[in-house]
Amino acid sequence: MRNARVQTALYHGLMIILTFAFVFPALWAVSMSLRTDENMFAADQLIPHPITFEHYARLFEALPELWRYFLNTLVIAVLGTAGTLLSSSLAGFALARIRFPGRGALLVAMLLTLMVPVHATLIPQYVIFRELGWLNTPLPIIVPLLFGTPFATFFFRQYFLTLPLELEDAAAIDGAGSWRTFFQIFVPLSGPAYLAIGLLTFVSLWNSYFLNTIYLAKQDSWVLTQALQSLIGRYQAEYGAIMAGVTLVSLPILIGYLIFQRRIVHGISMTGLAN
Amino acid sequence: MTDTVRTPQRRGRSIASRRARTALLFVAPQVCGLLVFTAGPLVASLGLSFSNWDLVAPAPTFTGLENWTHLLADDRIPAVLWNTVRFILVGTTSFLLFSLIAALLTYTPRRFVGLYRAALFLPYVLSQIAVGVVWRWMFNSQSGPVTNAVELLGIPAPDWLLDPATAMPSIAMVVTWQTVGYGMTLYIAALQGVPTTLLEAATIDGANRWQRFRHVTIPIISPTVFFLTITSLIGAFQLFDPVVAMTGASVGGSGPATAGGPSNSTRTIVLYMYNQMFNYNEPISGLGYAAAIAWMLAMLIFIVTAIQFVVGRRFVYYESERAPRIKRRRERGVA
Repeated sequence: MRNARVQTALYHGLMIILTFAFVFPALWAVSMSLRTDENMFAADQLIPHPITFEHYARLFEALPELWRYFLNTLVIAVLGTAGTLLSSSLAGFALARIRFPGRGALLVAMLLTLMVPVHATLIPQYVIFRELGWLNTPLPIIVPLLFGTPFATFFFRQYFLTLPLELEDAAAIDGAGSWRTFFQIFVPLSGPAYLAIGLLTFVSLWNSYFLNTIYLAKQDSWVLTQALQSLIGRYQAEYGAIMAGVTLVSLPILIGYLIFQRRIVHGISMTGLAN
Repeated sequence: MTDTVRTPQRRGRSIASRRARTALLFVAPQVCGLLVFTAGPLVASLGLSFSNWDLVAPAPTFTGLENWTHLLADDRIPAVLWNTVRFILVGTTSFLLFSLIAALLTYTPRRFVGLYRAALFLPYVLSQIAVGVVWRWMFNSQSGPVTNAVELLGIPAPDWLLDPATAMPSIAMVVTWQTVGYGMTLYIAALQGVPTTLLEAATIDGANRWQRFRHVTIPIISPTVFFLTITSLIGAFQLFDPVVAMTGASVGGSGPATAGGPSNSTRTIVLYMYNQMFNYNEPISGLGYAAAIAWMLAMLIFIVTAIQFVVGRRFVYYESERAPRIKRRRERGVA
């Protein structure tokens, strides 16, 4: 009895240390962004005293157009997510629920595509988008997503496979074609799948850096991750402003995570079943 | 698109062909996307790898095998590959191990376990740039918390990101820290799928804890181990953002161009490709050479993944009655 209690205590002790190790950097970043310069490197300032917002003011001085990067990021994340959800769920539905010639081949092609690194297709895409005059606009990032991504399509296929067969039978008796079956029966039933893949896509677009740094070189087309990266060189010693930037960039995602944590984790564990 | 009433004898066939036609419309965007944004560029990229182009000239000039022979002779290529291997040795292995440990600690429902899982998963949703910037400071050799913590243990702290020997392992540690929650989540789903009847049967047969883990749990979760190994290795070959955040010194947004230090010890394949893409100063550089590097990367990923599938066939265990179990898991995942 006593032994079990000791074990429980040890377990929770270990988990509290682990929890701390995983939350600490985020807390520390917020904490540093609120400290005065003199207290910046003090070890006893996890909860800063006194609290100051001067670093946020300095951040806006260094990046006066921060709101613009925020809007750029938001446009890419929202439109990219919406396009991915629509096109990928359509394709996923057909792959899961309709027999058509070429279905198996398409599925194999998509799985192979999952292995192709984005870099191997990047350079011709860059040339095309440059010809189209799309550099320094969000189009090179949004437009490919409007056609759906193999990952999301595959995810939706796996999801739609789990819904009962009787759904189509009932729809067919009512005389509904594939479009109505999809939009009036499958979409309303698939809220969890849309939410999961939508959150994952949104988060990855919000956080993405590589493609943005290729296509969005001009400063007024930047997204937040680029703005954040640009602070490093300029403010080598100005940790307060950098941490204020980290806090602001991460805040929307952190709030979303607090609200949707279960959904996001659920979505992730559903992607594992793709295998 | 609603069906109209048809004569019974025609109905069966025309519905099937009509369905097939509708299906093609459903998959049309995705198919177009694959052709225009993946298949086409993949082929074009291969073509470009046999050319030289600086984007100033109106069109690429065909140079035959020049890029590829240069790639084989370029001594920076083995260096970036070795950096990737160093990342895998520390990062990918510790990711696979620590996510399993984290899952074993949190897969059984008990008090506060949801809170622990949420905390361990948290870093995964943050941007690698934000995380990298914070850790860059955490590794600060004078006042960083990591340095302080290590010195508290009485060990002299290394220079972390400033020493060529420790920079890449430090980055690997951060990536592991950030992704453990993801691996943990997939392992938890797998561990919860281990049938308790099997574990009980093993106990009755006299198996101890380790034997049950080794001979029952491991085989049943092996598809997840396999999946995570493949995806994390693919990710390791494409390492970019964390390196830029932790080693780049950006002025005016040209961060990646300055990243990869100290002494190029953290320069990765993609970082090198990026730099060559916008570097027209060397005789063999620019888009053509970058395309060759990108194709080398794609082939490496393909070969490494193919090897894993061959090796995995021997070690990954798929239950014969796998379908019902998967279905159960799915239903739970969906509910």
